[in-house]
Amino acid sequence: MGMLNLILANISSKPVTRLYPFEIRETCKEAKGRIIFNSENCILCGICQKKCPADAITVTKADKIWELNVFRCIMCTECVNGCPKNCITISCERAKTGAKEYIKILVPKVDTPKTDSPKKASSK
Amino acid sequence: MTTIIPFGPQHPVFPEPISLKLEIDNDVVVGALPSLGYVHRGLEKFIDTKDYIQTMYICERICGICSGIHGITYSRAIEKLFNIEVPERAQYLRVINSELCRIHSHLLWLGLFADGFGFESLFYECWKYREGILDVLEKFTGSRVIHSMSKVGGASRDLNDEQIDHIQKALDTLEPQVKNIEKVFVNNYTVKKRCVGLGVMSKQLAYEAGTAGPTLRGSGNAIDIRDTPDYDIYRDLGFKTAVGKDGDCYSRTKVRIDEIFESIKLVRNALSKLPNGEISVPVKGSPTGEAIMRAEQPRGEVVYYVKGNGTKNLERLKVRTPTFANIPSLLLMLPGVKLADVPIIVLTIDPCVSCTER
Ligand code: SF4
Ligand code: SF4
Repeated sequence: MGMLNLILANISSKPVTRLYPFEIRETCKEAKGRIIFNSENCILCGICQKKCPADAITVTKADKIWELNVFRCIMCTECVNGCPKNCITISCERAKTGAKEYIKILVPKVDTPKTDSPKKASSK
Repeated sequence: MTTIIPFGPQHPVFPEPISLKLEIDNDVVVGALPSLGYVHRGLEKFIDTKDYIQTMYICERICGICSGIHGITYSRAIEKLFNIEVPERAQYLRVINSELCRIHSHLLWLGLFADGFGFESLFYECWKYREGILDVLEKFTGSRVIHSMSKVGGASRDLNDEQIDHIQKALDTLEPQVKNIEKVFVNNYTVKKRCVGLGVMSKQLAYEAGTAGPTLRGSGNAIDIRDTPDYDIYRDLGFKTAVGKDGDCYSRTKVRIDEIFESIKLVRNALSKLPNGEISVPVKGSPTGEAIMRAEQPRGEVVYYVKGNGTKNLERLKVRTPTFANIPSLLLMLPGVKLADVPIIVLTIDPCVSCTER
């Protein structure tokens, strides 16, 4: 009896599913979609690298490279909260799967202003 | 003469690999032997390389469905180690998160269970309703499944008025929907035929076998960690333990449906009483000493043991999960049932193998 009602209600209502590739679900603004890195203020202090539980961020001070391996990132937002310069933010938009720029490095090279660092040895 | 047949690790009703060796005599199960270890990931050892704050994220990944409560329990264990009092608002947020997790876990289970006895449209129906809760969780915590809402020292996300409104609306729509599927699970002829009197565990036996969660309560034992002095906040919110009486599959199903309503009530009460204030306190230093923390997951009681030795890394983390406690009782339920009923009985303990093996 109960099930019959459910079935009748379902027959007479619109489908609840979407035609996925054509109709994409909107995410809410609170959703954790992907990491956005703004290189302007970064001082390459490496706090984000230390805080990251998934070892997804690599900061190489000598070469001024801030690198994010998107496949390792677990969206915990530790780096967002930890960064003293607020240069990491989180966007509610999902990363496009397979798009070239998201596969390995989000921001390949940072030409950081800030301080002298003309040394080039020791990059480990 | 008996025959031994393997049941699993891959089986249509199992979401995760668990293998049972069933001793069969003419279609009737005489004995069962479990074999675990297919998805062992060594997480307890892995925490050696992570500090105690990062370990929260590893604990959350022990299991996808109870992830929120794993994280909360770990955080509480570390807070006990540091002797920290978490702000009241954070405690309420944790209750809201845990109960929403419980609702989505139970709806998921009801769907799998319906699928287990071949009622596919009911399965779709349950999962359809679960989507609404996942949307709520996404708006609250930012993710649909692994929430990372808790952190050592409080909560990492707060609720604003708009979100509270969204949760309340979602619960208002969910309640009649769950009532609809409750009617089917409780009254439907087919469902009753498959579940009533199957896999019976007496009250005493369930208690002695160390059963946990809805499996224990389905047998008539009113034991729930949320109703202990550890969890004052649940008592403030008017928590009542859901108990079944027959100890069969039907009774366990009813307990889970009752728990969904109980959780809806708890979330509503928590939202209406949500105090103002901070959501977290800073935690500094390195932990020393030992602590044990228990919590009620959708599947039953989880126990966290943490031991710190004054360094950033914990010396030992030990988790005892509900499915692990329920496997002995499963083995007690199986003898005497028909082979065709084994999947249903296995499903009623709500096995979560990734929790069990870590
Ligand atoms: S992103 Fe922030 S935390 Fe990371 S290196 Fe740059 S300034 Fe430091
Ligand atoms: S969100 Fe978490 S996992 Fe991702 S890069 Fe930041 S700290 Fe690492």
